[in-house]
Amino acid sequence: MSLPRRLLCVISDEHSDPVELARLALDGGAGMVQLRRKTASGRELFQWALRIQELCREQKALFIVNDRVDIALAMQADGVHLGQQDMPASAARALLGPEAIIGVSVSCIEDAVKAAKESASYIGVGHIFPTFSKNKPSAPLGTAAIRPIRNAAQLPVIAIGGIERDNAAEVIRAGASGIAVISAVSESDDPTAATRELVKRIRQA
Amino acid sequence: MIVSSGSEHLAHRGLVLEQAQAISRSASVIFQVREKGLDAASLWTLCRQIAPIIDETGSIITINERFDIAVASGASGVNLPESSCPADAVRKAAPGLITGQSVHSESAALKASSAGLDYLLFGPVFHTPSKAPFGPPQGLERLRKICEKVRIPVFAVGGITPDKALACIECGAWGVAALTPFLDAGSMPETINRYLSFMPS
Repeated sequence: MSLPRRLLCVISDEHSDPVELARLALDGGAGMVQLRRKTASGRELFQWALRIQELCREQKALFIVNDRVDIALAMQADGVHLGQQDMPASAARALLGPEAIIGVSVSCIEDAVKAAKESASYIGVGHIFPTFSKNKPSAPLGTAAIRPIRNAAQLPVIAIGGIERDNAAEVIRAGASGIAVISAVSESDDPTAATRELVKRIRQA
Repeated sequence: MIVSSGSEHLAHRGLVLEQAQAISRSASVIFQVREKGLDAASLWTLCRQIAPIIDETGSIITINERFDIAVASGASGVNLPESSCPADAVRKAAPGLITGQSVHSESAALKASSAGLDYLLFGPVFHTPSKAPFGPPQGLERLRKICEKVRIPVFAVGGITPDKALACIECGAWGVAALTPFLDAGSMPETINRYLSFMPS
């Protein structure tokens, strides 16, 4: 499955109801939803994932699971997003098949090239700007890092980290195929409107 | 006999490897890799390393919860915790794996036994620090009741020292599982033999 261009991926936060958040984000036009909940049990993740997958199908959006290849496999998600602490993309690819979307988080050219060799479908590049959603000890990469990483890996880039309404277009112009957000949607008073605005800015970039 | 790893404490890092090597010198068992402190990448690497060692000896290696890692590393099976993704979904996604499930109540045992599983782990039967989070000891009578009602093999777990193994078998358990007695990897083959000596073959 190839990744649509100018994609907005909305990722669940650690406290909201992930199904409700997905519904609101899809109403706003999100093209992809990622279920990410570090502390949830396998059963909780499985049940949320089934429901979010159904919502995504209704809206022709993609659904992927963060880290847990087992959950993605058990409920046949469209794909997974893997960190550097997860099994290699090649192992996930062998389990999920050639059609699955497999994203890998990278923050340098070396990891990006490795992800490409291991048959990742896209790379999640970040964090681009300072962010509080994830505990990051390293400095932000900045938008200038996107193009060299993309060119080295020859894979679509979904940029992440501190991206919101006012810098989304800049990220796309810097070479990203799409952006991923957590707090820009989950912390908004109106997640649907926040999603809609991000989608618009990405399309107009 | 199920031998469970479980080196959640830093002091026990690397123990699971020693245990796997010790199993190659012991009688055949199910070796359950239960390393909750490891991230998926480390677990995958570890399992790929020890699966061939265990496989060669006629013992069986199962991975706790992560059936994806079990398949990817060539392990024979998976043991699902009670809060894992549903057994029937795991079965469907990975039909080739031996699939067991841990249960901590009669209702969970009955439900699990109709999901097409290969075995159940029921406990804690007796008190043990490693199983304390899963509730107070269930006792032998509950074990007996479950073994009567369930048609698949039930392994008793929780505080089962070698001398208590026979009582569990007499309740109808297929076998027993233990973790703490195997924290000393060096004596593992002897410890396994002590268990087996208390159980009818």
